[in-house]
Amino acid sequence: MQGKWDEAQREYEEMIEKEPHAPSVHYLLGRLLLSRPEPDASSARRAKEEFQKEIQIDPRNAGAEYILGEMARQESQWEEAISRFSRAAKLDPAFGDAFMGWGFCLVNRKRYEEAIAPLQSAVRLQQGNPSAHYNLAVALSRSGKKEEAEKEFAIHRRLTQKSAPTEEKAQ
Amino acid sequence: MLTGLKNPGARFLTRRDLLTGLAASALAGAYPRVLRASSTSEFPFEQIPASASGISWMHVNGKSAEKYLPETTGAGCAFLDYDNDGWMDIYLVNSGRCDFYVPDPPLRNALYRNNRDGTFTDVTQKAGVAAGGFGQGVAVGDYDRDGFPDLYVTQYGRSILFHNNGDGTFSDVTEKAGVAAPGWASSAVWFDYDNDGLLDLFVARFVDFSKEKNKPCGVHDDGKRHYCIPQIYQPMPSWLFHNNGDGTFTDVSKTAGIASHLGKAWGVVASDINNDGWMDLFVANDTVANFLFVNSGRGTFAEIGTEAGVAFSASGRPRSGMGVDAADFNQDGWQDLFVANIDRENFAIYQNNHDNTFDDLAIPTGIARSTKFMSGWGLKFFDYDNDGDLDLFLANGNPDDLIGSLHSEVTYEEPLLLFHKNGKLFEDVSAKSGPVFSMPMSSRGLALGDFNNDGAVDVLISVNNGAPLLLRNNLGRQNHWLGVQLIGKKSNPDAIGAAVTYQAGNLIRRRVKVGGGSYLSSHDPRIVLGLGKRETIDWLEVKWPLPGGGTQHFRDLPIDRYITIVEGEEKWK
Repeated sequence: MQGKWDEAQREYEEMIEKEPHAPSVHYLLGRLLLSRPEPDASSARRAKEEFQKEIQIDPRNAGAEYILGEMARQESQWEEAISRFSRAAKLDPAFGDAFMGWGFCLVNRKRYEEAIAPLQSAVRLQQGNPSAHYNLAVALSRSGKKEEAEKEFAIHRRLTQKSAPTEEKAQ
Repeated sequence: MLTGLKNPGARFLTRRDLLTGLAASALAGAYPRVLRASSTSEFPFEQIPASASGISWMHVNGKSAEKYLPETTGAGCAFLDYDNDGWMDIYLVNSGRCDFYVPDPPLRNALYRNNRDGTFTDVTQKAGVAAGGFGQGVAVGDYDRDGFPDLYVTQYGRSILFHNNGDGTFSDVTEKAGVAAPGWASSAVWFDYDNDGLLDLFVARFVDFSKEKNKPCGVHDDGKRHYCIPQIYQPMPSWLFHNNGDGTFTDVSKTAGIASHLGKAWGVVASDINNDGWMDLFVANDTVANFLFVNSGRGTFAEIGTEAGVAFSASGRPRSGMGVDAADFNQDGWQDLFVANIDRENFAIYQNNHDNTFDDLAIPTGIARSTKFMSGWGLKFFDYDNDGDLDLFLANGNPDDLIGSLHSEVTYEEPLLLFHKNGKLFEDVSAKSGPVFSMPMSSRGLALGDFNNDGAVDVLISVNNGAPLLLRNNLGRQNHWLGVQLIGKKSNPDAIGAAVTYQAGNLIRRRVKVGGGSYLSSHDPRIVLGLGKRETIDWLEVKWPLPGGGTQHFRDLPIDRYITIVEGEEKWK
């Protein structure tokens, strides 16, 4: 089915028609709509609706909460993003990206103290993620925890230097 | 809302009126003289063609199959009044002879004298400022306090300090001064870092590059050789030269703490970001963290870019910083920062939090939306419509001439961008500001200067491998204004770091004179204060930088003309 977007979409839609409350299908359709090459605004709108339906059917779907959080973040709907990401993180305590998104949005809203805990979870779950360490460092620094912040900035520096492409990679 | 000239039917002066007026002004010894060149444009900015300006010089990039990186990065430009006649002249930087390029015939920079009638005359040879190396940028400053602006030309290879002899000629004093800065110098800025009243020199340095070190890195998925992304080149330290006051400089890069930070520096702006009376430096780096050098006041700088939140994107990634500026765009008394990046990175507009930290407001101000696919070089905050608020002008162009074959949303040549400050937003008004904003081009340098002395600040854009673009501002003179030239006596002569506060009715504004800003370029030293429709200025206050440090108050000021304020003198001229 790879690359056959229309065919896949039709199949999901038929499944939903037959069984509107089946778990996961709305989620999969939403993912498909977003992963289409060059999705337009209507695809994004439709995808959002599918994720919302999925959550009505399965309130424990952390993936749907996460994607809705990410969509809200991209639209600068910060409070909704925080709420979605935090729900996703609570539903799946191993979901590093959800903790990362939650903390990132809190930093953006200057809620630095609040951001520390989710970002600490993010760096625990994604130790090699420079973005998580950077945002944790910012949250700590701006909460007055300068020493702890410096440790995180140092990790970020190390990871950033490590991730800089070498000559071979750039070719 | 700005939709163009508010009085397009107004009668403009004929050439005869103009010459008569000029003669009368000259006889009366009046300063300033204002040239209202004829214009039929209904748009805020209008391109002055070479046939009208007389500026026939063109930049040549020396493009080669080997894709040497300096080919795509130049060059800069400047507005300066080299002969002190009260009219802005123009300096343009070109490529030239170096280890990977021998142009035939040789290339040269250009100095154009302002003829005070909208035209310019090429005086390069007489002035002796042709240079000839692989030029990048230019910084203008009166380093020897003789009242005449000197030129520092940055080059790939070795930079040049041209001393202005005051008689229309310049002398190359680089060796005596000790400021050759070998390597690949990009932007430079004159500023007084130790508050001794003399202009020091910061020279930004890009990567460790030579013909031998050119990397064969650019064959992409499309099978074509592209210019390298600078990630693969080694970073280098920038220079700081202390002005000894006797025509020589001392390289203090190491002792001042500048050289211990390796970067890939493009743009630089000098401004006091923490209001402690000492000039700091914001340096845009390409593919590595930007630098914010905070001046300790003891001859050293602390690099706090990461802690300040201006080094990386919000996700902690280094971006491709190129052009920079500093200005108090929200008028809270603290200097904010701007840095232009490459496509898909968003540009950054950093609001000063008053505690050595900054927040990037690119999304809420609307800057991110307009710059997402752009690559920005020259840029400057200024009040182009003289309504009292700082707007923003950006010159753009992707460094990769083949970028279009890799990304459908990105083009090599890009249009200029104009943002009008509208409350908390910067409204993208490019589409309604003139046909010039729909012209794709490879812009690099951007300099501000009022070349016709009408109070509407004009724009000069340098174009990689093309003719420069002189844009006349047709809108600023629709409002009232006062132009101020500051001359430091105890303070540095260019008054870099001075703050001018003024009130006109319900309008209170503060403007700070920064050093440098933009990309590879240098600007008209005068500050134009926008008044909107207000017809009087109640008062004006000048806070001089240290070591002067005094505050002077002025009342009974004229409008719609330029004045000169000399530090310590009670009356403006």
